[in-house]
Amino acid sequence: MDDLSKSSMKFFSDQQLCFADILLPHEVQARIQVAVLNFLKILSSPDPEISDLPLINRKSSNSRVSEGILTDVSWIFLSHSFCSRSLMKANATKAFIRVWKVMEMCFEFLTQEKRVTQRELFYKLLCDSPHYFSSQLQVNRTIQDVVALLRCSRYSLGIMASSKGLVAGRILLQEPNQEAVDCSACGSSGYAISGDLNLLESLIMKTDARYIVVVEKHAIFQRLAEDHVFNQIPSILLTAKGYPDIATRFLLHRMSRAFPDLPILALVDWNPAGLAILSTYKFGSIGMGLEAYRYACNVKWLGLRGDDLQLIPQQSLAPLKPRDLQIARSLISSTTLQDNYRQELAVMMQSGQRAEIEALYSNGYDYLGKYLAKKIVQANYI
Amino acid sequence: MDHEMLILKIPSVAAELVIERGDASGLRCENVFLPNECSPLNFSSSNVERLKSGLEEYVLKHRNSLNNKCDSCFCSREKLKISSGVASSMESHRSPGLIVEAVIAISELPESLCFRSSGNKTEVLHFKDFSPSSVSIASLNALTSIDWRSYGLTLVSAVDQVDHALIEWESLPPYLHIDMVIHCYHKQYPGKYKYQPDRHLIKKGVKLALDDLKEKHTGLLLSAHAVKICSYAPDLASSIAGIILSSNDLKFRSKCSTLLELSQSQAIGKQTVEDRIKEKIISVIETNDRKPEKIKEAAPFLFEDDRPQDLDPADLYLEEHAGGGNVFSFPD
Repeated sequence: MDDLSKSSMKFFSDQQLCFADILLPHEVQARIQVAVLNFLKILSSPDPEISDLPLINRKSSNSRVSEGILTDVSWIFLSHSFCSRSLMKANATKAFIRVWKVMEMCFEFLTQEKRVTQRELFYKLLCDSPHYFSSQLQVNRTIQDVVALLRCSRYSLGIMASSKGLVAGRILLQEPNQEAVDCSACGSSGYAISGDLNLLESLIMKTDARYIVVVEKHAIFQRLAEDHVFNQIPSILLTAKGYPDIATRFLLHRMSRAFPDLPILALVDWNPAGLAILSTYKFGSIGMGLEAYRYACNVKWLGLRGDDLQLIPQQSLAPLKPRDLQIARSLISSTTLQDNYRQELAVMMQSGQRAEIEALYSNGYDYLGKYLAKKIVQANYI
Repeated sequence: MDHEMLILKIPSVAAELVIERGDASGLRCENVFLPNECSPLNFSSSNVERLKSGLEEYVLKHRNSLNNKCDSCFCSREKLKISSGVASSMESHRSPGLIVEAVIAISELPESLCFRSSGNKTEVLHFKDFSPSSVSIASLNALTSIDWRSYGLTLVSAVDQVDHALIEWESLPPYLHIDMVIHCYHKQYPGKYKYQPDRHLIKKGVKLALDDLKEKHTGLLLSAHAVKICSYAPDLASSIAGIILSSNDLKFRSKCSTLLELSQSQAIGKQTVEDRIKEKIISVIETNDRKPEKIKEAAPFLFEDDRPQDLDPADLYLEEHAGGGNVFSFPD
């Protein structure tokens, strides 16, 4: 976070802030080596022990909110509360060993100067240590443990973010020494956002858009791109095809810094998951709290919202699923949620229903574009 | 009873027997005065030393069914591990002057023809005031109340079989046999002194013997928890060795070699490093297992393997959308 954030008054929150450094490969290796040396020292000491691994706590109890006084951007960050992973605690032994195994694998990749995706890492670990790793989720969590232990960003470990996000619309993106790509001419598939954060950092961006629209779902993104909605209202479309990944957040953040006058508007389903996605773009996340705080943006909620329900037929409403309720509860307990968002969430919970953006198609396939345009022009976003 | 009586190894009792049986056949006298091949005792040995020596011989001679130690089963000293514990009641106790001696012998024997396998059972022999005695309720209660799991054992039952208590264990390793003897007496013996056997004292005596065994023999009677953790040591050692050996930093590798007490030669392979680390880890686990304040098995703890703690919307989204097998549905 640059100029604006630096000038805003943040006294106490800075002291509490715990963050992951963005490091070069040899610096990360040095940290891993220190972890090994400390382990061996204590193992060989006169009073030997098997040391625990101290990790920054990634729980809401260790999360804080920084409310920028001079900026509109608030963000979630993690503070200095630790928890430890221990070999000796029953039921937690494997989790302890998983951290070492991921550290070993990252160390090797860094020595070979390779970058891998989380998916590739999962398959490699599955082959090497099937007894310890059984799902992608477990691998992702262990990676976050390593981030919390070494306090370096995931990218510094040599792990590339997934290449999930897409951009379309009135923006030119140019990689160094390459031709500029006109994202309005990319068709409905858009420009794929690389998982390589260094590359994204080096992109040269030019735009004449007036808005940035962040879209939850791939299908909606495709429809809007195909209909060239970004020409009707000069805009940039962005999607992470669901829950926002770091690379998409990173690029969105870069855009918001490069083009600070462009409002960022979110188009999500009317359900707790949609709001959770919006919140992640807006505030960051606890799960990746050591890094994500850097990429929070001032995103506004365009739709779907409660007052849009009159535009869709009654039968397109579906009941909320148990998972929706879990997410809703988690959102309600979060300190960052502003009042008007809370009210929307309350209406969702009370009605027990959800609605997808696609429900707008009942008014015709071109209705979505018109809906978007109307809302933007009316500045109907919160 | 004769066989068991020998366990006490009381020279004065032996002398009495000889006098009484003045005209008995030589055989009995020979039995009494049989030289002790297994461990020499001098006259000033304490009662518990005698008891220990007696049980040792009892086991080595397959419960005194042989005249000599069985060499085929006990080819090396290592096969039999023996220890003792003595608990005495304080002056302030309601029955001061009580003494409980417990001796435990663990033999590691292959299945052999000469030994009738007792399977998962242990006969706990009881003595009171230097004579074989029946099993008291206090003793049974003491045996069932011990936390055997912290010694890697699980007690299924302890029953009174008149002249001994029979303990049944759950799944002992097939080659392992446990023998035990408990002796309660008053320190003023042979003075007449009436008393009740004390459950706490018996429990204490047996525990002292168990702790003594653990202390003297690394890796013996490891708690179930420690055994489980030790099984992970090779994998942990492998990861750490992997990091050391894939580093190009010579100073780092050299420091690691020093800490692991390995030579500074460049030619050290991964297996050597891994084995050394594994040895050290297991040694620490075993040593710490002997300490009284062991880390108890944790109740459902923050870091259980598969349970999500705080609900991360990212994870919930992942679970919901991962079914399609689409690589791109994984967030972050």
